[in-house]
This record gives sequence, C-alpha cells and structure tokens, in this order.
Amino acid sequence: MRGALLAAAGGAMGGAGGPLARTIRAKLTAALQPTHLEVRDDSPRHGGPPGAETHFGVLVVSGRFAGLPLLQRHRLVHEALRAELAGPLHALQVIARTPQQWQSDPRAPPAPPCLGGSKR
Amino acid sequence: MSAAVRAGWRIGAVAAAALRGRAGRPLSQAAGEGGGAEGVGGSGSREAVERLVREHPVVVFMKGSPAQPLCGFSNAVVQILRLHGVEDYRAHDVLQDPDLRQGIKNYSNWPTIPQVYLNGEFVGGCDILLQMHQNGDLVEELKKLGIRSALLDAEKDQEKK
Repeated sequence: MRGALLAAAGGAMGGAGGPLARTIRAKLTAALQPTHLEVRDDSPRHGGPPGAETHFGVLVVSGRFAGLPLLQRHRLVHEALRAELAGPLHALQVIARTPQQWQSDPRAPPAPPCLGGSKR
Repeated sequence: MSAAVRAGWRIGAVAAAALRGRAGRPLSQAAGEGGGAEGVGGSGSREAVERLVREHPVVVFMKGSPAQPLCGFSNAVVQILRLHGVEDYRAHDVLQDPDLRQGIKNYSNWPTIPQVYLNGEFVGGCDILLQMHQNGDLVEELKKLGIRSALLDAEKDQEKK
C-alpha cells in the first residue's frame, strides 16, 4: 500500500524527477495553480527501463476543481498535458481534489498493479 | 510477453466473444475495409463507436477481456463491476482492433483506456469508476439503469444477522 506518493518524484513542487516529470509538474502548476501536487513516475512498475517515463500518476489539489464533476476535473488535467498524452505519456492516473476534500481526506489510493498490457 | 501469456490472451478473447453471444464477425475484421480509423464504416468511426456504446447499459472498452484483463487499470474496472454483481455487460478489447482503440479515444475525447459507458454516456476511466464505487455514486448510477448493485444485497444480509 502506498503511503504518500512523494517518494519517487522527490517532492511536491519542483525537485527531482526526469524531464517528463518536470514538464508534467510545470504544466499542471501553470494550468491549475494547485495547492498540493504530487507527480509519481510509475514506469518502473510497468516493466519499462529506468527513466522510461511512460506511466505517471498525478495528485492535484486545486480550487479550480470546485463545483466540477470528476469527469470535468480529469479533462482539465488532460488538457494541460495534451501534448504529452499524444506523445510519450502512455498512461496517467489522476486524483483531482479540491482543497477542502484534500484536507478532510489526505490519502490517495495506490495504483493498480501492472498486468503487462502496456507493452502492447 | 511469453508465448503462454499470448496463448492465454487469445483464449480469453475467444471466451469473451462467446460471452458476448455474437455469432458474427470480430471487431478486427471491419478494420480491413479500407480507410483509417476515421474511414466511413471503419470500426473506429463515430458511427461504429456510437453503435457499440449504445449496445448495452454497461459498455467497457479495455485491454484484454473480463476473463483475462491485460492491464491493471482495465482489471480494476472489471473487479469493481464484479463487486457490484455486474457480470452481464459489453466489453471490447481494444488490443484486438487498433482502429477501435483510436476511434474510442476520438469519440470520448479521452486519451486513455479503459473507458466506461453507462447508458451510452461516457463516465470515465478506472480512477473515476473507483471513486464512484467508494462514494456510493456507482450504486446510484446502476440503479438508474435498472441494475441492482450486489453491494445493496450484501448490506441487507448484514442487517439480517
């Protein structure tokens, strides 16, 4: 069970991570002004070589999500990462919460285990 | 990917087709009819996808089959539906049909697989379905489709004890 998602990305804002991780962080920050942001590179768990940066999970806490259903929240995230999703970003897990929701429940579910489909 | 897994995938795909009860052609045959994903009558065209999402109250586009999912996110969708007792639904394996794989993403303007449609309407992917399951929304949405979630019966059994 994953606790905080911070580990792989080396910190909430800025910090370590490959070039795609940094791009994702920068674009989400610019688009959604998150109060809390975690970017997790799951690629190693999906059989990619180190630094593959193909599968990511993002946890975005932003007031921009207020009043929006989940589908619209996820679409906002996808829009910010449109170029990446058309390119190297093969899979993206999204958790999108308002600051109030995050405060009342600062936990995120773990990513499902890979079953090999990403290699197709 | 080992030959054994590949063989298992094919068996799963055949089983899934049998479960769908279709006598007819697998989706991938349509892809040969010229044009690309957007070609008229191609399996990835808006018209073809529209037909698929309206086929049944619950339609899932996934990698692999419900009997043998090939992706953790697709498997999560299958498991959630199973928890609610939803076993009768339409599942389409996009790995068998590249035109459908692209067409479904164009149709919903959603970049990833799996995709869940309830009553012909796109609901979201694995993350959204999981949250709907956790917050009770999925039980409500299934009720609107005339499907009684198995979790309601589980609760009733608890109350009886």
